[in-house]
Amino acid sequence: MDGLKFVGKRIPKKDAPLKATGEAIYIQDLKLPGMLHGKILYSKYPHARILKLDTSRAAALPGVKAVLTGADVPNNFKFGFMKDNPPLKSGKVLSTRDEIAAVAAISQEVAEEAIDLIDVEYEELPGIFDPLEAMQEGASLIHEELKSNVLKLPWKFVHGDVEASRKDSAFIAEDSFTTQWVTHCCLGTSGCVASFDVGNNLTMYSNTQIPSLAQNDFLEALKAFGLKNRRVRIVQTTIGGGFGSKLDTYAYEYIAILLALKTRRPVKLVFSREEEFLATSPRQPTITKISQGCDKDGKLTFREIEMVLDNGAYTSWGATTPSVMMVPISSLYKVPNVKYTAKCVYTNNTYSQAFRGYGNPQATFAIESCLDQLAEKAGVDPVEIRRINANEPGEVTPQNFRITSCGMKECIDEVVKRLDWKNKCGRGDGRGVGMASLIHVGGAARVYKSDGCGTIIKVDDNGKVDVITGSSEIGQGSDTIIAQIVAEVLGVSIDDINVINNDTDVCPWDVGVHASRTTFVAGNSALGAAQKIKAQIMDIAAKTLSEPVDALDMKDGVIFSRNDKEKNIPLGKVLRKAHYTLGGRMLVAENFYDPPNENFDQTFRGNLSVAYAYGAHGVEVEVDRETGQVKILNYVAAHDVGKAINPMLLEGQIYGGGLQGIGEPGLVPTAPAIANAVYDAVGVRIKDLPITPEKVLRALKEKAGQKT
Amino acid sequence: MGSFEYYKPESIAEAMALMEESGGKGVYIAGGTDVMVLIRQRKLSPGCLISLRNIGDLAYLDTSSGLAIGSGVTHNAIAKNDIIQTKYTALADATSKVGSLQIRNIATMGGNICNAAPSADTACPLLVLDARVVMAGKNGERSVPIDEFFLGPNRVALRPGEIVKGFEMPAFNERTGSAYIKHTRRQAMDLPMLGVAARVTIRIDGDQIGCRDALCGIENISDILKRFEDEKLVCEDVRIAMGVVAPRPMRAKKAEGALKGRVISEVLLQEIGEIAASECQPRDSIRGEAWYRRDMVKVLTKRAILRVVDRIIRPDDTIWPERLW
Repeated sequence: MDGLKFVGKRIPKKDAPLKATGEAIYIQDLKLPGMLHGKILYSKYPHARILKLDTSRAAALPGVKAVLTGADVPNNFKFGFMKDNPPLKSGKVLSTRDEIAAVAAISQEVAEEAIDLIDVEYEELPGIFDPLEAMQEGASLIHEELKSNVLKLPWKFVHGDVEASRKDSAFIAEDSFTTQWVTHCCLGTSGCVASFDVGNNLTMYSNTQIPSLAQNDFLEALKAFGLKNRRVRIVQTTIGGGFGSKLDTYAYEYIAILLALKTRRPVKLVFSREEEFLATSPRQPTITKISQGCDKDGKLTFREIEMVLDNGAYTSWGATTPSVMMVPISSLYKVPNVKYTAKCVYTNNTYSQAFRGYGNPQATFAIESCLDQLAEKAGVDPVEIRRINANEPGEVTPQNFRITSCGMKECIDEVVKRLDWKNKCGRGDGRGVGMASLIHVGGAARVYKSDGCGTIIKVDDNGKVDVITGSSEIGQGSDTIIAQIVAEVLGVSIDDINVINNDTDVCPWDVGVHASRTTFVAGNSALGAAQKIKAQIMDIAAKTLSEPVDALDMKDGVIFSRNDKEKNIPLGKVLRKAHYTLGGRMLVAENFYDPPNENFDQTFRGNLSVAYAYGAHGVEVEVDRETGQVKILNYVAAHDVGKAINPMLLEGQIYGGGLQGIGEPGLVPTAPAIANAVYDAVGVRIKDLPITPEKVLRALKEKAGQKT
Repeated sequence: MGSFEYYKPESIAEAMALMEESGGKGVYIAGGTDVMVLIRQRKLSPGCLISLRNIGDLAYLDTSSGLAIGSGVTHNAIAKNDIIQTKYTALADATSKVGSLQIRNIATMGGNICNAAPSADTACPLLVLDARVVMAGKNGERSVPIDEFFLGPNRVALRPGEIVKGFEMPAFNERTGSAYIKHTRRQAMDLPMLGVAARVTIRIDGDQIGCRDALCGIENISDILKRFEDEKLVCEDVRIAMGVVAPRPMRAKKAEGALKGRVISEVLLQEIGEIAASECQPRDSIRGEAWYRRDMVKVLTKRAILRVVDRIIRPDDTIWPERLW
């Protein structure tokens, strides 16, 4: 017994009843008085010159209130990580999701009809869809003004001497691996409602996962549109899934703002399911050349990786995923010598973005697949090579990550035990087992200058507590976790805690929901605020009860003296006393928590996170040799999670992660574990995701010397 | 989505009158799982929708002699029917795997067939179960074999204004069974990459104890087929149908001819698979490559026949050994 009443308990998500009964308000449900409906016309071709764009028939349709084209975007405004993306494109289109016109109309139906009435003539141009082709000398330029298709980004990390250690290695495994586009496929499609007041202040109803940063992006846009010194308020509706897709701002949001500005009415722009696939930004495909070496005992000597990322036609924050790919590349297992370079390359494809894992899954697929190849060359068991090189507490990795606690070996052992590895490995009878490990940031990640989150707590006369947090609820359960922590500190019921988390007019600043940071950062922020408000409450109680503060305790909403149980006072009474006393005071506390982690320096070194998450996944598969289909018979995920604030929500994160790629760290090792298991089962290695029946069957036939 | 009139007639005659009134611009709608998608994608803009859901004459399911199913019966109602599960199993296989439960609860078999997608799951079972399509029109009812009903992708032998009333299948003897194998990339909510259905009537001379034992165990396919051969298990009659490997669901008639009247063996089934594969014309598409589809016709034809024989020999078994086919 740790004496904790809420923390560590399986408490169901606070918003579960709302979602289960359909009462939760998503962006799709939102209606404002006078609201118009927006719709976007996308390009018909991935690369083309627009010869003619005639919107007159659309504008003349009854019910249409505004039609916009690229010519209506003030001051050549562009958005995105490299500011290379105009909300509406003119002249040339660079991908099939290029927005070339938009309408606002009195209904969704009229808006759709108007879009069909826009006449466009294109001159189709040859496109580049392969980043390797885009890198070739003489390749036509996606953005002519940039002079190169390779983005000017500094993705290079070097530690030790890879060349020397390559010569000294007893065994070397070398290969190429590729990964594919993956869409987040959120159940709640993207959308927003943009609304201006008479003073041109913007309220944006949105399902973003970065309210504070989006607020900043929209302020910049307003400035570019000629509206200086205005206010932007972000109100988040219930968010139907993020997974990284809502870590940036998008053209549709700026288009909604421009339409609202032109019509002086709120404009709603919500994606259809087709648009969600077509016009949101998926995970970036990668082409990875990897070599790893070990000594005669299987101890890793070096790891060298060259990676090419398909950036697509424009640039989002996703172009920074190589910074997180570096985490496993430098620090998954002990590797003394590391070299990593990555190039993000423009193509005429859809542009890519962050996706759960932020690049880590693509890097880990190559590392863990190649590690099995190395183990085979060195004649070491796949489990042994992972145990020999496993990370350990107290270690400082090549990127200067200071590893504090680390249960990697324990996770590997648990997987071995639960999968019955020793009996199931190496049978070659169509069934096989595979394993892969993971490292991920676990105590936030200082990607921006701040990694902080603010909390404000106020308590009312009746002992009810409002916790106003900067952290958004996107399904991960932050509302519940924060309530558990505050209830624990204050000794009140969890039902007395009301978490407010969806309005930048009220909520303090937060850098956003990413990098598995919410429970840790928002939780610590709430913890500090709760302790501050508790001190204030105890101070009043001490005076009222004439007892020293340190003799007081609070339980079930009653404050009592440990010395004299007769001396007690209900919390509500203390709170009322605070107001109903001459010279009274408000019971409000604020706290900002910014963890003591470090930004990378220019060589990409720095203790990015104050804790690192480790885990290992193992899988048993059966491969149908006649069809190439892979059936998962058993899946074991072992994670070093530290203390689980809410085991039920944690399990949800790991199950969800497992299925999606199979929480954020949860999906990292899935693909390589399965690829390794397929190899163990039938002796073919699939190096190109996804692992389709066609690929498996083709490889089996090639191995048997048959044609396909 | 544009606007349109929506009618809910209660008889076939009323529905046909509404269609005539619309001047051919109306569209019949049953479950709507195909029509509504087309409308939302703006690929279809009907003058009016004429719902067939309230027409009692389309909702029958009669198993008294053979099987007669009204076109308005939903996939789930078919999948849950005991007689269909035991006597027309291929149809239960197919209807239980279409879309999601929500879709199966509203989508009708008539709609699945009239939409005539090459991937329609119920098409292959109807082909092997010798189904006839009953149509109602201005001049009364007529029926055609299902094989003559499909003309090409999304094209069927309905005349203007005609409504598919239902489907009729003959009764089969105790030595007959059927199966449909849907090959998908995902386990649920997926269209077939291809589908293969088979109906087989076997001649049982002895008590086939060896076959039964083999099928109860976990022997591999070769060993099971060896028993079939040893105990002279003859294929008296057979139908094989394939979906998504040609512009329309099709019978593998040459393969059927090669199997009929012969003792089932591994060599023969291999040969049957090869013949079926040579009869189809698969294409490369996002769902699968042509070579793979052709290859899978070979594999699934063999497995479908094996599964049918298993069902005939072990009709009461509900527990299936864990194995690949």
